Amino acid sequence: MQAVVAENLTKIFPQGKKAVDAVSFALGQGEIFGFLGPNGAGKTTAVKLLNGMLTPTAGCCRVFGTDPAADPCGVHKLSGVVTEHAQMYEHMTGMENLLFFGAVFGVNARECRARADRLFAALELMCAKDQKLSTYSTGMRQRLSLARAMIHRPKILFLDEPTSGLDPENAQNVNDMIKRLAHEEGTTIFLCTHQLRYAQELCTAYGLIDEGALLAAGTLAELRTLVFSGLTVRLTASLPPDDIPYTALNGHEFSLTLQTEDDIPPLVKKIVERGGKIYGVSARQLTLEEIYFALLEKRGVKEAAS
Amino acid sequence: MIHSMRRAIIKKDLRALITNKRQLIPLLAVPIVVAVVVPSVFILLAHFSPQEMMEMEKLAAFLPPGEQTDGTQQVMLWLLINNIMPAFFLLIPVMVASVSAASSFVGEKEKHTLETLLYCPLPLRGVFQSKILASFTLSMLVSLCSFAAMLLVAEAELLLTLGSPVFPGINWLVTLLFVAPAISLFVITLIVRGSAKAQTADESQQRTIFLILPVMAFIITQFSGMVFASAWLLLGVGAAFALLAGICMRGVPQKISYETLLKR
Repeated sequence: MQAVVAENLTKIFPQGKKAVDAVSFALGQGEIFGFLGPNGAGKTTAVKLLNGMLTPTAGCCRVFGTDPAADPCGVHKLSGVVTEHAQMYEHMTGMENLLFFGAVFGVNARECRARADRLFAALELMCAKDQKLSTYSTGMRQRLSLARAMIHRPKILFLDEPTSGLDPENAQNVNDMIKRLAHEEGTTIFLCTHQLRYAQELCTAYGLIDEGALLAAGTLAELRTLVFSGLTVRLTASLPPDDIPYTALNGHEFSLTLQTEDDIPPLVKKIVERGGKIYGVSARQLTLEEIYFALLEKRGVKEAAS
Repeated sequence: MIHSMRRAIIKKDLRALITNKRQLIPLLAVPIVVAVVVPSVFILLAHFSPQEMMEMEKLAAFLPPGEQTDGTQQVMLWLLINNIMPAFFLLIPVMVASVSAASSFVGEKEKHTLETLLYCPLPLRGVFQSKILASFTLSMLVSLCSFAAMLLVAEAELLLTLGSPVFPGINWLVTLLFVAPAISLFVITLIVRGSAKAQTADESQQRTIFLILPVMAFIITQFSGMVFASAWLLLGVGAAFALLAGICMRGVPQKISYETLLKR
């Protein structure tokens, strides 16, 4: 069964703003799906649609086969949500907050306390568990929100900018935990972020969104095929390649594109045979960021043409 | 399981109301003034007023047959305890219900905790019912405790000044068991109804301020002697508020949805 399916999912707010525009995608169980786009692209609206907090204007979606618009509670049983506006109670301690949310998710008190202790330890909040939330820093609150979303062992986690406000060490902890959840427990992760480099390190599939419209969805390899699947090679040599177009960078540095890594040895061989010296070769594929901007450009050209 | 989820919300709401100093002050101050200070002032005034100034024979006619007496002070205090104080007393459920419901519904929205709560697997109706029950429970608890405190202080004062107690009559039974619950429910439903639009708890509370006016008018009628509160009149007042609460609740499911609640 697919974890999430969206078919032409559309949300137009009463003021006429089209926040999500005919978005379609599917993701499998255990995937870490990066839903990526700038602020205001429609990511949070999509999370709210997938949790039944908003009713779609058109189209539909299902989370583990349940339609959130028809049965929001059915989806809430399976999901944990972390968003900027989903906060916890200042007058309660970290532990009291987790015990309360555990209780409203139907987790029995003893199991909830044990689970909360494990989450406090994993998120390095153990020393603050009996402190009131009002004394927590932004990063601690963010980590506690993650613990809260995981207290009932959800099958799917919706995380909206989960590492915002975290220092690099804690961000790494959170990333490790997300990977562990997906790989070991099979939890599906729906991760919304505008940090494309961060998403590329973590996610197994992507949905790229801008102004409510989905630019593309798929794995990194699939997305590359939409733009350019080859390699960008940076060559440092005493001679430039003679039969491949290149861009001279500075002095003996050249940039060129190849289709696969197998094209590198013949290129090097030819330069050496011509008496040239090779000082260095590095190859890289398009990053997610480059793909995103290339797709944006493509869409801009398409819209201008129409 | 649904019951334990609801119980958790009710417990959390009650605790939040009791531990918040900003809410606790009106929750304690108004009942103390209404249930302790006001009756004490009246009892002392009655005790020290010159009895020649009063023409109590006509008023004595309003007393129930069993309570008919020639004692001027006794007539005055009986009317004070059983007619004027129930009218004053209604300020307590109005105030407690409005503070607690505004905090419970709109306060959570204001502090961005409502969204977190709405992601729980309890239907929206269940979340609202739990919150209504928490506000109603607090309103009734404070009302009953205030009545107990008033009874204790007033009877002690009456014993000291008059030498004999003046027991509360049937008006109190109707006030405590019917009018106070009905008026609490009406205030809560008014706030629930407006919770989708209101952005702050203060704004939400202000919507119910106008309810003080009919209560004040009721108090004035008791002082002026225009209409004396009988059990039947109080039953009528309670029925009117219960009806209004019912009418208010009818439209709530259409007005309230996840979407309207989370609108910013």
